[in-house]
Amino acid sequence: VSAGVTAPCASVADALFVGAIDWDQLAQAVVNALTLGSIYALIALGYSMVYGILKLLNFAHGEVFMIGAFVGLGILHLFGGAASPGISIWLVLTLMVVAAMVVCPIVGVGIERFAYRPLRTAPRIAPLISALGVSFFLQYSVQLLFGAQHRTYDTFLMDGGRLFEPVISWGPLEVSLLRLVIFVVTVVLMLALWLLVARTRVGRAMRATSVDREAAAMMGVDIDRVVMVTFVLGSSLAGAGGVLFALRADVFPQMGFLVGLAGFVAAVIGGIGSVTGAMLGGYLLGLVETVTQTYITTEWSNLVIFSILVVVMLVRPQGLLGTAEIRKV
Amino acid sequence: MFLALAVTGAAAVASTAGAVQAKTDATQALNCARTTFAIPVLTPYTGPAAFLGQDQGSWAQLAVKQVAPKLGLKARIVAGDTTLDPAVAATAVQKALANKNVVAAVGPATSGAAGSTSPAFFAARVAAVSPSATNSALTKGASPTATKAFFRVVADDSVQGTLGAKYIAEKLNAKKVAVFDAQEPYSQGLANIAEAYLKKRGVSVQRFSVTNTTTDFSAIVNRIDRDTDVVYTPFQVAANAQNIAVTLREQGKSAVVFGTDGTSDPAFKFPGSYLTNFAPDISADNSKKSLVDAWKKANPGRTFSAFGPPAYGATEVILRAIKHACTQKKGSINRVDVLRNIKKVRIADWVLGGSFRWSTKTNDPLNGAFWLYKINSSGQQEQVAKLG
Repeated sequence: VSAGVTAPCASVADALFVGAIDWDQLAQAVVNALTLGSIYALIALGYSMVYGILKLLNFAHGEVFMIGAFVGLGILHLFGGAASPGISIWLVLTLMVVAAMVVCPIVGVGIERFAYRPLRTAPRIAPLISALGVSFFLQYSVQLLFGAQHRTYDTFLMDGGRLFEPVISWGPLEVSLLRLVIFVVTVVLMLALWLLVARTRVGRAMRATSVDREAAAMMGVDIDRVVMVTFVLGSSLAGAGGVLFALRADVFPQMGFLVGLAGFVAAVIGGIGSVTGAMLGGYLLGLVETVTQTYITTEWSNLVIFSILVVVMLVRPQGLLGTAEIRKV
Repeated sequence: MFLALAVTGAAAVASTAGAVQAKTDATQALNCARTTFAIPVLTPYTGPAAFLGQDQGSWAQLAVKQVAPKLGLKARIVAGDTTLDPAVAATAVQKALANKNVVAAVGPATSGAAGSTSPAFFAARVAAVSPSATNSALTKGASPTATKAFFRVVADDSVQGTLGAKYIAEKLNAKKVAVFDAQEPYSQGLANIAEAYLKKRGVSVQRFSVTNTTTDFSAIVNRIDRDTDVVYTPFQVAANAQNIAVTLREQGKSAVVFGTDGTSDPAFKFPGSYLTNFAPDISADNSKKSLVDAWKKANPGRTFSAFGPPAYGATEVILRAIKHACTQKKGSINRVDVLRNIKKVRIADWVLGGSFRWSTKTNDPLNGAFWLYKINSSGQQEQVAKLG
């Protein structure tokens, strides 16, 4: 059978036969997918929450993620860099994440205050265009301030390279300390958000606003405050995501655009407006991207991702876990 | 997208209009004794490759300071920022060509900018002498980018790709190599040359393709076989080669990463990796000590990469061509005279070592070589051999 299969698809065809599976590769693919999916899920949550509350696609969200990565870089340099930080590397990493989670909400709230709030009653196209404008404004502002070159955290120098050593070795499955940290931190952050939305008064106000903004306002919910809290939460998750992502990737002003786009696709696939949908969409997208790149070819990965987006839009426009909007006519 | 198209379109219109205007200036006479010749250095002074501008601008400046007085010429350097964007490069070139005291230019530094602006230089009959644009098509073949106005003082990618692959096969004894490209002409050209050479030598080759904006290499590194000996990364973004090296180690793979001149940047610092470059480290050459000291005196506290000294060479070629033309035309020259004299230049004490002369067949140096660098345990690039 495999003799008739063309080269790019050969590994997929091979993989269909258990005997032909490279278990090392498969285990690594699962680990890669979980790490990438965790980051996508963090970004998707920001898109989803803002859309749920304001019905706005905040295309500047990817740039908030990018600013988080730059904040992390600044903190790392402040403490002497990856190779010889003045304090424990774990403390530096914690400070990097915390600083990004503090700075990014300020950026996010600023964006909402100056670029979106004045357009809240305008036609829906206006804030969308404003969001795109803010996205490019932030990209080029950071480029002017810090230059366009790609930088790295030099994570492989941290703690003598121990972050890249496997901490879980189970058969073909090997998970490095760094990947475990990224996965655990993102899961903890997502759980915290889920608890906040599901179990607190603020969360209830957010859910009420997302169902019917006017009714929520009439019931005494302070809409401006809910919007601000939404941007604070979404931006802090994006900031943390930026630092965690940059531990394994380059930092440059355009980094947020493509990763942000992936986060947006994840939010749409999962069901934009749904917190659990965004998480599911993130992991699903991470899995699809990794499987495509591992078993088919890298060039096809975006093609496959956006094809899935189109199919989901055609078959289930509200996304996998989203609910269809009911309109009274 | 529309904005980008509009800007590109405007740049193209400006380029054509400028070329027509510049052509009329090609025969405008300049008095050698009274003119301060302006030499544009067309290189990225800003953007992701801004280190090129700092290095090349400062070395060109030193050449003007040292060589022009010896030849009895007055000259000055004019900075032309090309970034890595062909539209920006087109604007910088037109600005340079509009200056009547410009008879030749150093650059463009990058192959993309050199290719897109070479016709404009030819239309204006102004010589463009690049210190670092290595794409083979710029001087060879029937490509419209290969005009008679473009020259380079370093060897091209056909030499780099072959020499790098030869070293991988013969010295590193690689049996299996993963060859990457970044879906753009520079890396595809080098990757194709290396792949063809390695296959001819019986080396097993896996080919991979990424983009300059790829950020996570986990999945693609996962596809690299465990017994792969070398990963060839002819990228323009050095940080991507670094990322691949780190991801290989994370996945327990021991392949050595082998870059090219595009990865000759401090961002590529994974110990044990290699890269080829068209210039040697002249700070390790005792015969160049006074030159290096002069540069350090002019640029206190700074260091330079291998991209810098070839700009000194390109500037020296231009100054000597101007001098030849001045002698030949009895003190009154134009752009065409300088263009005709570029290939007559021979330099006995070449900045990169040995002597310099042009190939008779192309606008490339004769017997161009590449140098091999290895990244040491401190992440510094150390020159280990001359290839070719």
